[in-house]
Amino acid sequence: MALAPPLSVSKPRKQTAISLMLRRISQHRWVYLFMLPSLILTALFTLYPIFASFYFSLFQWSGFTSDAYYIGLQNYQEVVPDKQFWNAFEHSFIFMLSSVPIKLSLALGIAILLNDRALRLAPIFRTMFFVPVVTTTAIVGIVMTFIMSPFNGPINTIMLDLGLIARPIDFLGDPKIALFSVVGVEIWKWLGNPMIYWLAALQTIPASLYEAAEVDGANWWRKFAFITLPLLKPFAIVIVLITAVGTLNVFALVQTMTGGGPYFASEVMEVYIYRTAFGAANSMTLPRLGYASAAAAFFGVSVMFLATIQIFAARWANRERAGLAAAETQLGDS
Amino acid sequence: MPEKHKISRRDFLKNSAIGSLGMLLAAQGLPLAAQDSIINIVSSGADITSEPTTFRWVDSGDQKAVFWNAFFEKYMEAHDNVTIQYDALPWNEIAQVVPLGVRNGSAHDVFQRPLSVSLAQAVSEGWVAALDDIIPNFDEWKASFPGGVFVEGITGFNGKTYSFPATSNKRYGTHLLYNVEYLAEAGVDPQAGPLSADDFVATAKKITENGAGRYFGFIMGGNQVNRWGAIVREFARIAGAISMNVGNFDLDMSTGEVPYTNPLYLDAIDVLLRLRDDGSVFPGTLSMNAPEARARMPQGAAGMILQGPWNIPIWLRENPDFNFNIAGQPLLDPPNFVPVSVGPGGSNEIHIYAEASDANKQIAGDIFHYLGTFEGQVAWATLVGAADPAIFAEAVAEADMQPLERAALLMFNEQVRVGPSPIVRNPDTAAVNLELRPITPNLAETVQGIYTEQIDDAAAALQDLSDRANAELDRAIAAAVEKGAMVSREDYIFPNWDPHQDYGEDFYAEL
Repeated sequence: MALAPPLSVSKPRKQTAISLMLRRISQHRWVYLFMLPSLILTALFTLYPIFASFYFSLFQWSGFTSDAYYIGLQNYQEVVPDKQFWNAFEHSFIFMLSSVPIKLSLALGIAILLNDRALRLAPIFRTMFFVPVVTTTAIVGIVMTFIMSPFNGPINTIMLDLGLIARPIDFLGDPKIALFSVVGVEIWKWLGNPMIYWLAALQTIPASLYEAAEVDGANWWRKFAFITLPLLKPFAIVIVLITAVGTLNVFALVQTMTGGGPYFASEVMEVYIYRTAFGAANSMTLPRLGYASAAAAFFGVSVMFLATIQIFAARWANRERAGLAAAETQLGDS
Repeated sequence: MPEKHKISRRDFLKNSAIGSLGMLLAAQGLPLAAQDSIINIVSSGADITSEPTTFRWVDSGDQKAVFWNAFFEKYMEAHDNVTIQYDALPWNEIAQVVPLGVRNGSAHDVFQRPLSVSLAQAVSEGWVAALDDIIPNFDEWKASFPGGVFVEGITGFNGKTYSFPATSNKRYGTHLLYNVEYLAEAGVDPQAGPLSADDFVATAKKITENGAGRYFGFIMGGNQVNRWGAIVREFARIAGAISMNVGNFDLDMSTGEVPYTNPLYLDAIDVLLRLRDDGSVFPGTLSMNAPEARARMPQGAAGMILQGPWNIPIWLRENPDFNFNIAGQPLLDPPNFVPVSVGPGGSNEIHIYAEASDANKQIAGDIFHYLGTFEGQVAWATLVGAADPAIFAEAVAEADMQPLERAALLMFNEQVRVGPSPIVRNPDTAAVNLELRPITPNLAETVQGIYTEQIDDAAAALQDLSDRANAELDRAIAAAVEKGAMVSREDYIFPNWDPHQDYGEDFYAEL
C-alpha cells in the first residue's frame, strides 16, 4: 500500500484557502479515504438526525403523514411555558446531579482498589462490576421492578426481616422516592463504565512516582492526595462530561421501571419527548413529532450550553491554578 | 341529566337466571378441545392464486390470536401454496410497525390501524384499500351485518368501505372480577345483587382483614395510567355523568360540556381514596401494570379487580383451578344505573393494505368474507369468547362458550348501549380529530396524582382539567374551520341522547 507523500515545501505564492485545503486533502487522500466510512456513518446517524430534528421542530407534523405545516417557532413558544416540560427538565438534572457524583466516586474507589497489584483477583472483580453494563437495560428495568416490589420483593423482604422497616416501601410507586430508586439502579447498572475510564487513567501514572514518594515516607493518603488526584485531573474533566451526558440518556430504564410516573414524579426529558412524539398512551390523540423535536432541540441546546460553560470553567480554573503555581515558583526563586 | 334506570332485585335475578341458562346450555356444548374443528374453510368465490405467496397479517393479538392461529393453520392446509405470517404485536409496536411499513411499501397485507391514526387520515394518505372491490359479493356480505356496524364517516367515506370492525365493541373494561372464596369468607355474594360502592369498599376492607397481610381486598395495574381514568370514568358514567370520548378527554354529548366537574367524578375518586386509606389496596399497585395485576389475582394476592372480559379466557386457560366470577361495576348511587355508552361501529378494525399485491388482496377478501358468514362468527365467538365479542348476536347464542364468558356477554348486552357520534352527524368533525392535541395531565393522570397525594385539591384539579379540555376542543374546532372544515361546537350536542337506548339513525334524523 502506498503511503501518503511527505509534505512538500511549496514556493511562496498566492493561493486561496480553498485551493490550499484541496491540495492538503489530495496530499493526504489515503487518510481521508480511511476516515470516509466513519464520516459517512456519523453524517447519517448523528448529524442528519440533529439537523432533521431542528428542521422538524418548525412544523406541525405528526411524523407519519404528508401534511406537515410550517409554523415557524410556534412549537418553541409552546414548549417554553409548558410546566410538564420544565418538570421533566428538572428531573433530568436532578437525576444527573444525584447520579454522577455518587457513581464517579464509587467508580474511582473501586478502580483504585482494582489497580492495586496486590489484589490477585482484580480481573474477576473488574468483570463482575462490568457485567451490568453489558446487560440489556430494558431487561434490567423489568427485573428491578420485581426486586423492588413491596409485595414479596427481595429488598423489602430482607429489610422487613432485619427489622429495618415496619412496612414495605413502594420504591417505584411512592412519588417521593421513585426517581431516586431509578437513580440507584442506574448507578449500579453503569458503574462499570467510569470504573474502566478511571482504571485507564490510573494506569497512565508512572509507578516510579509512588516509589519515590514511598522513599520519602509518604503514606497512602498523601500519595493519593498529591500524586493520584492531581494526575487524574485532566482525565476527570472528560470522564465527568461523558458520564454526565450518559446520565441524561436513561430512557429505557425510566420507561421500564416507572414510565415517568407516578403522576410525572420520575418523568425525565427523554420520556417526555417520547410521550409527545408518539402520542399519549391508549388515546386517539395524534403524535406530535414537530413539538417533540422542538422540546428535544431546546433541551439539547440547553445541555450543550451548560457543558460549554463547564468546559470553560474547568479551563479557567486550570489556568488560574497554573498561574498561581508559576507565581509561587517565581516567588520561591527570588 | 338522563332518566335514571333502576336495577331491581327482580330484574337482577331475571338476568342472572338468563345467564345461568346460557351457562347450562353452553355446558352441554362441544368440549373445548374440539373447538378448533369448528373452523371449516370454504370458498367465498375469491380468485385465490395457485402460485406460492406469503401473506402477512398484523394485529394486537390477545385472545384474537387464539382464533387467528387456529384459522390460519386451517387456511394454509386448504391452500398449500399460501404461507401466512401472523404477527400479534402490542399497540405501541403497531404504532411504529404499520406507519414504517406503509412508508417503505412493505406493510402487512392486513393490519390494524394505530390508535392515533384516524380512518380519514389512513384513507387520505392512501394506506388502505376500499373493501368494496375486494370482498366477494360485497353488498350481500355487508348487508348480513347488523345495523350500526358499518357507518359512513367511521368505517368508510363517499360510499366506499375501508374498515372492517371485526368484533363488537359492546363491552366495558372495568367490571368486577372476584375471587369467590375470599368474598364468601367476607360474607359477600355479588351474584345476589349489584354491589354498591360502599359495599365494595367495605368488602375490600373485610377481605384485607381476613388476609392478614397474605392477601388484600383490591388490586389494579396502577402503573398503567389509563386504568385510573377508566375506573373513575365508568363509576361516574353508570351513576349518570354520561359522556363520550373526544381526543383524550370526555364530553357529555347531551349538553356538549366536559363532565369532569360533575360531583359524581369526585365521588368516584373518593372510592379509590377510601380503599387506599383503609389499606385495602394491594401493596405495589402503583408500580404494577395491568397484566401483572391480572396475573396476581389467580395467585390469590387480592379479592377483587375492576377489569375487562379479556381476563376471563386467560384465567380459564392458564389457571383452571382459580375459582372466580364476574359482576357489573359497583354502583356509586345504587340502585340507579345508566348503561355504559360506546361509539358506533365496532372494535378491532382491520384494513387491507392499499399496495398489497392483487393475489394477497384476494386472500384478504376471502378471509374477511369468512368473518361475515354465520359459521365464521360462530367460530370467532367460540374461540375468542367474551374478550372480543363476535358481532352476530345469533352466533354468540350458538357458540360453544365457557359459562363465564357467556355470562359476561349477557351482562354487556344489558349494560352497554351505542352512544352518539359527531363524525356520523358531520364527517367534517374528522378534521377536528386531526387537530386535537392531548391534554396533559388528562383524567387518568389527574386521578393518579390525587391518589398519590401529589394533587391536594381534587375539585380544583378537575375544574382545571375541564377548562383545559374545553379550551382544547375550541382550539381544535377553530383550527379545523381555518383549514376549511364546516364544523362547530353544535356538532357535539345531541339533546335527544337517551343513554338507555342505542343512538341509531332515527335519533340522528331528529336533530
